[in-house]
Amino acid sequence: MDCVTEVIDLKKQYIMGGQPLEVLRGVSLAVEPGEVVCVMGPSGSGKSTLLNIIGGLDRPSAGTVLAQGEDLAQMDDERLADYRRHKIGFVFQSFNLVPSMTARQNVELPLTFAGVPAEERAQRAAAALESTGLGHRIEHRPTELSGGEQQRVAIARAVINEPTLMLADEPTGNLDSATGREILGLIRQMNEDGRTFMISTHDRGVAESIAHRIIHIVDGMIAEVEIGGAS
Amino acid sequence: MRPRDLSALIFSNLRRMKLRLALTSMGVVIGTTSIVLMVSLGIGLQRNIEQELGGMGPATHVTVMPAFTPGSMEMPTLDSQAISEIEEVTNVEAVMGQVWVETMGRAEFQRRDVHLSAMGVPMDKFEQFGYVVERGRLPRNENEIVLGARMPSMIADEGGFREDLTEDLLGGRLNVTFFEPVTEGAGGRPDEAELDLPAETTRRLTVVGILAPADMQVDSTAFVTIDAALEFNGVRSNRIAFPNVIAMADSPANVAAVEEELRALGYETFSASSLQEGMRVTFLIIQGVLGALGGISMLVAALGIANTMTMSIFERTREIGIMKAVGASGNQIKKVFLGEAAAIGLLGGTVGLLFSISTAAVANLVVQGLIATEAVGQQAGAAAVGTATQTAFFIIPVWLGVFALVFAAGVGLLAGILPAMRAANLDPLIALRHE
Ligand SMILES: Nc1ncnc2c1ncn2[C@@H]1O[C@H](COP(=O)(O)OP(=O)(O)OP(=O)(O)O)[C@@H](O)[C@H]1O
Ligand SMILES: [Mg+2]
Repeated sequence: MDCVTEVIDLKKQYIMGGQPLEVLRGVSLAVEPGEVVCVMGPSGSGKSTLLNIIGGLDRPSAGTVLAQGEDLAQMDDERLADYRRHKIGFVFQSFNLVPSMTARQNVELPLTFAGVPAEERAQRAAAALESTGLGHRIEHRPTELSGGEQQRVAIARAVINEPTLMLADEPTGNLDSATGREILGLIRQMNEDGRTFMISTHDRGVAESIAHRIIHIVDGMIAEVEIGGAS
Repeated sequence: MRPRDLSALIFSNLRRMKLRLALTSMGVVIGTTSIVLMVSLGIGLQRNIEQELGGMGPATHVTVMPAFTPGSMEMPTLDSQAISEIEEVTNVEAVMGQVWVETMGRAEFQRRDVHLSAMGVPMDKFEQFGYVVERGRLPRNENEIVLGARMPSMIADEGGFREDLTEDLLGGRLNVTFFEPVTEGAGGRPDEAELDLPAETTRRLTVVGILAPADMQVDSTAFVTIDAALEFNGVRSNRIAFPNVIAMADSPANVAAVEEELRALGYETFSASSLQEGMRVTFLIIQGVLGALGGISMLVAALGIANTMTMSIFERTREIGIMKAVGASGNQIKKVFLGEAAAIGLLGGTVGLLFSISTAAVANLVVQGLIATEAVGQQAGAAAVGTATQTAFFIIPVWLGVFALVFAAGVGLLAGILPAMRAANLDPLIALRHE
């Protein structure tokens, strides 16, 4: 079976005060459909950078990202936006909801930019919020929701376009452990329904409870790959 | 992204910044109002001038006057030799001398006093100058008179007749009183002449025709033959001298050339066309200056919009990052902010247009009121009040309204281009890190 995403010899460097800062120094990996891959590593090791490049929010300095065989480097900014809109679902540590919009409007956003008609949007957003356990808070604004609830809205927004890959950057980082476990439960349930995840975390417990594979990044390189507890 | 969703997003974004929206669009309101009022004042003034000039005679007519010789006490006049000279000028088709009957006191029709002003013209040339006899014919001798198109109704109004007088006047008799002309040198002592009431004579004139409507002056004048006019004025000389003559150019386009040539020959000239041309240039300049003033206020308004958009984009940086992360393209972001900027312009333009329309209406009423009061004060009567109520000084045609809205929205759009491009080009990762 074709992999969801294949990363080949990925490099990323920033020039800081004339000095090159090598964040990723040749990372190669492949994500299979239905997998949960956790990326672990110390702070500043390049976990977020890797996820952002795979999600088309950032471009690498060298190397290749193939999304279902398609090279992201060949896409212009418009195509890349289209790729994020249809193939990728982002979940962030800080939720990143639009504060002026209701839960439903936030969840609808990717569909709005995709030009889906309003009625279908509302229907699908309601269903997605229902599936993340927030069916009763549809018209609430982010400020009226708890952190865990906001993250459920963000997850609903990420799955609304039925993406081939969900990218979650420290999804439980801003939550207490009980709420974090609830969110992990939600992710596990979605994975059981067939969704593919790539999750960054520095919490060993999180990784072990949910991952099929744990990739350790140290100094911008893959140091070790473990089989996770979920497989 | 669907246009409906785009406008809904723009609308909800604008609703979040009501106060800023109001303050920013205020600049556009002021700019639009000044432009619309200024342009409409220009249109109104020009139309008034044109209406007034329209009463001064056909576009091909040039009034020719002798040039004043400085130091000379004598009123210069034009004689038949001068008329022949003017007739020779290129593009001049015909020349007609005219003599006002200066001695006319009053006229009486069916025992009612009516007002009449009459002019002597060469009847053989009258129709050539474009004046048409609608009923009857032109005078053939000193005892006949033809009336301008509006005279029957003017006589009816003044004499207090209720019915239409056209039929009664045709073939009817006018008893016209003349003052004995004070001929220079006669009587000898001027102070004696002043004390005496001038002697009167009465003539019975037959109305032989009524003219078709021409211009305002001709319509309210009666015409007699040159010989009659000279006789009424007490001129007993074979040498006819006109204070002015009318030359007719073969086309309105040649009027300027005719005037130039006549001036080169030493005459003074005057024509509705050249006056209108002069006015047109003047008003073009006035309108241009006024428009430029409005343009400057719009420029300031545009800077205000650009500033507001820059600020609101800065405040919404993180939101832009979120939208990009969930799949908004740079183009879509650009459209949202361009739309917001254009909407601010359109809102200001709409308010400004409504404001100008009401201001124009009030100003027109006030000015018309002033003119009407003044006219009544001067006993100028109903006619003047009638024209005053029709006179609009601010005219806002539909095209000006449409232009104002499109222009205001366009100014907003232009002002939004740079901020919107910046928003579109924001790096999503940097935007997401923004607090
Ligand atoms: N735009 C940038 N310019 C310069 N350096 C950057 C930029 N973005 C990231 N970096 C650097 O790249 C390195 C990797 O950052 P990254 O956010 O990927 O780390 P991380 O593994 O996600 O860390 P954390 O666990 O703290 O989230 C860091 O040293 C960071 O300072
Ligand atoms: Mg990180």
